[in-house]
Amino acid sequence: MKKDINSNRHIFMYATILVVIVAILLTVTALWLQPFQNRNEKNEKRINILTAAGIPDVNANNAALLFEKHCTSEFLLDENGNPTESEEGLPVFVIDRQTCVIPMQGNGLWGPIWGYLAIAADGKTVVGATFGHKSETPGLGGEITTEKFQGQFAGKQIRDNGSPIPIEFDAITGATKTSNGVREMINKTSESYAPYFQKLPPIQ
Amino acid sequence: MANYKKLLIEPLRKTNPVTVLVLGICSCLAVTAQLKPALVMGASVTVVTALSNFIISLLRKGIPNRIRIIVQLVVVATLVIMIDQFLKAFAYDVSKQLSVYVGLIITNCIIMGRLEAFALSHNPRESFLDGLGNGLGYSVILFIVAFFRELLGSGTLLGYQVIPQTFYEAGYQNNGLMILPPMALIVVGVIIWIQRTRHPEMQDSNNN
Repeated sequence: MKKDINSNRHIFMYATILVVIVAILLTVTALWLQPFQNRNEKNEKRINILTAAGIPDVNANNAALLFEKHCTSEFLLDENGNPTESEEGLPVFVIDRQTCVIPMQGNGLWGPIWGYLAIAADGKTVVGATFGHKSETPGLGGEITTEKFQGQFAGKQIRDNGSPIPIEFDAITGATKTSNGVREMINKTSESYAPYFQKLPPIQ
Repeated sequence: MANYKKLLIEPLRKTNPVTVLVLGICSCLAVTAQLKPALVMGASVTVVTALSNFIISLLRKGIPNRIRIIVQLVVVATLVIMIDQFLKAFAYDVSKQLSVYVGLIITNCIIMGRLEAFALSHNPRESFLDGLGNGLGYSVILFIVAFFRELLGSGTLLGYQVIPQTFYEAGYQNNGLMILPPMALIVVGVIIWIQRTRHPEMQDSNNN
């Protein structure tokens, strides 16, 4: 008897088998590539921290080594700006005993954006910044990851003697929402770290 | 043999998926502001069209007609997810730049169009070449559009400055409009115009 490929029985069998095969295939790929992806993400984080702090020529190959060499301590802050032992808090990475690199999180146009801000030992001056994004438009909002955009932050002041001051920078043409997101993100972060930077430089 | 060659070459010109069939315009607007993402996008789409055409053609005698679109989608989606994972693992920088558009290959009309129109009725080898040809046809247009948009919009190619500084000192300015999406549509329109002027037989007659 010739098999009828349009019978309900065949359709259900076909769909079930296809989906199971695809599921196995995707699981195997994901598990196999997971270590590579994790390594990339970890390196990415190190590259961003070191680049923000002004370490030149960091790439995926030497990131782990350089991070070990330059990152003198990393700790978490409680809400009063004191280093804490607890699991939760605001992370700080100290590079070469002087620059504090702090992570930032915010929202762009299509999804989350993030970045690292490096602050000099005086607690006021920006040494550098790096940004990343999940799904901003390539060529528009995606430009926040370029050197041209990130380079302009060095030397800017995020704090007056007393309180945090809003950051000013050149936005990206055609990416107003992303640029606003970056501004919000920096301002929010510098406010939440204010108690810590207030105490700098005495506590190093 | 000549037939295989035709399958591969024709989509680059006379049956080009973008300028003649007018498919895949959406991603053409999105990733062509710069050359590098356009190239990777073209390569990814080419791999997906070729492989999905091949796989669907292998399965074509067993696919129940009533769920064939779903089966096609599952195959395409699987391939795209795998490519996305591979890019994330081995070409992390590019994958970051392309971000959402790799995932959006699934919805690229060229792929489904070729599966429906070609792979379901031809043998795997022909289907593979047809997919490859159409992917390359798409890449060529992406390349041309991205070339002009990056050159005139940013003065760079693949990120390198090509328009000399003296031009800017003499008053030349980058055309900001070029990096906005509408210009992709206009550049594609100009390509279609040139192509149809050179091949009058492609023009639609007014009697239809």
